[in-house]
Amino acid sequence: MTPAPIPAGTPVIRLTHVTKVYDSGDSEVKALRGVSLEIEAGDSIAIIGPSGSGKSTLMHILGCLDVPSAGEYELAGTPVSRLSDRELARVRNQRIGFVFQAYNLLPRASILRNVELPMMYAGAGREERRERALEALRRVGLAERAKHLPSQLSGGQRQRVAIARALVNRPSILLADEPTGNLDTQTGREIMTLFNELGQQGHTVILVTHDMSVAAHARRIVRIVDGLIADEPEAAAGEQAS
Amino acid sequence: MTLRESIVDALVEVKANRGRTILQTLGIILGVASLVAVQGLSDAGRRQSLKFFAEFGGLRKILVLNRPLKQRVLSASQLKSQGLTWGDVEAIRREVSYATQVDPIVEVNLMVRTPTYLKEREIAGATPDYQAVYKFFPARGRFLIDDDVNSMSRVVVLGDTAARMYFGNEDPLGKTLFIGDVGFRVVGVMRRKEFFFNDGDRNALEWMNRMTIIPITSVFTRFNGDPDRKVTYVNVMVDKVDNNPKAAEAVKKVLFRRHGGVEDFEVYNRAERMRQRQQQNQVFDVTFMVTGLVSLIVGGIVIMNIMLASLRDRIREVGVRKAIGARGLDVALQFLVESVLVTSIGGLAGLPLGIVFANVITALLGSPAVITPQMAIVSVLASVITGLFFGLYPALKAARLNPVDALRYE
Repeated sequence: MTPAPIPAGTPVIRLTHVTKVYDSGDSEVKALRGVSLEIEAGDSIAIIGPSGSGKSTLMHILGCLDVPSAGEYELAGTPVSRLSDRELARVRNQRIGFVFQAYNLLPRASILRNVELPMMYAGAGREERRERALEALRRVGLAERAKHLPSQLSGGQRQRVAIARALVNRPSILLADEPTGNLDTQTGREIMTLFNELGQQGHTVILVTHDMSVAAHARRIVRIVDGLIADEPEAAAGEQAS
Repeated sequence: MTLRESIVDALVEVKANRGRTILQTLGIILGVASLVAVQGLSDAGRRQSLKFFAEFGGLRKILVLNRPLKQRVLSASQLKSQGLTWGDVEAIRREVSYATQVDPIVEVNLMVRTPTYLKEREIAGATPDYQAVYKFFPARGRFLIDDDVNSMSRVVVLGDTAARMYFGNEDPLGKTLFIGDVGFRVVGVMRRKEFFFNDGDRNALEWMNRMTIIPITSVFTRFNGDPDRKVTYVNVMVDKVDNNPKAAEAVKKVLFRRHGGVEDFEVYNRAERMRQRQQQNQVFDVTFMVTGLVSLIVGGIVIMNIMLASLRDRIREVGVRKAIGARGLDVALQFLVESVLVTSIGGLAGLPLGIVFANVITALLGSPAVITPQMAIVSVLASVITGLFFGLYPALKAARLNPVDALRYE
């Protein structure tokens, strides 16, 4: 059930000429106009860009919440650009860990149950679920709060729970959308430290942000402007080297 | 996602919205209660019919009657046929293997005379089987015996009311009763038969208490004499209810043959009659049934609306669930389980209320209380089906939400 780990240095994400066109009545909106991007396993990357740049669209496609209009997307060796809704749900469940700006925990479920939820959709047994959810909570330092409700936790703690939830199915990538957007500077820094640690432990972390101080934590920065990748000097060098 | 976890989620949701849940269930409670009441009442009605029929043969009885031919001009075979006769009775006894008792009755009107009474009365000529078929047993003395029939005895058995009419307060046993001009000795007085339906104080079995019964053979021979030995009607008791239709067919076949193909008789299958009677009774049930169904539909629409409103509040939740791997099916199941849970709570509350309804009504009608296992089945089915039906649209709507739009929803 748990996908085989991707060896560090091999591409976990490969986008080839991906476009996304939204049909809004009479006019077509080209949100992505041919994006090609490779992300290696274990890398940490920040995708930045102003609002309306296509940054969110790219994140939705990377997160398998949406499919490209054209082009190819390979995630951990699997082509995912033509999958059905049902298959996409499975890929999201197994390969991707989401962290949102607003944490998006279920308010009436305990911390433990929130973290167990992805495993419920994966069909894991009760014992295994509990064990692995507690393990994930331990990694973010909140195991002793397992019985609490999200409302009893601070914003930073809630985001840690969300990260535990994202980790619990051992995904190929962690996809964080403005993960510090709702937090004060100090707490935001703590969350970024946690992401750095996870990166050092071999997780592939993709940050989507407009905050340069957040992006600075990533080893690699990709800037999106008008639906295209604008510049990426270090990344280009990195790719050549590998 | 397993059903079990969906139920846990639904329980949490329902518990967090107690007030809303109560509002949602009101219609279902009323609807289920009405349907449960219908079930109880129709069952009570059915039981009473059965009990009444059991007083004279139950469902195992087939009734064979004469049917006078309507045409003015009769064919030769029609003229030849005599209607039901003693010969037919013996043929049925011989040939219909399902028959356990064949009980012929002749009814004639004759003058009855005692020192204090003189009036034309209906006299029944019967056989000893009569008492088993009608569960009609002597209070004092005895009923007719085979010997009476074989020797055309001049003995008479009286119903309780008839005995009083003929002899007042005197003891009728051993006294002589003149029928026509023939003296009959009173050998038995029957136990009173009584049956009161819900809706009346009239004894539905009083006609039995008014009976004057003599051996059937005495009717054939003691008065004007009847060489054809005509019979007014015949009760055929069948070994078991299931054989009733087959036995009725067999009786028809025997009679058809013996009557030269003339259908001057009618065969009533009691089990069939019972079904017809129940259908007639349903007029009363329909009112309750319609009330129940309308309440369920209204209650279901309320639930659908509230589920849709609650979905609007939970669009982001659906988006998050989808983002972390919920399939459309998982989301649909979650909402469906929640609506079925709500209607089941309504069903659970509606069951005792329905039992109260049914018992208040039967109490007003003066008949005993009813609680049947079918009531529980009705409440479970009605509530679960309502929950599934009206939960389906919100569930599918939730399942079809696009995850990107749902996550962005404010």
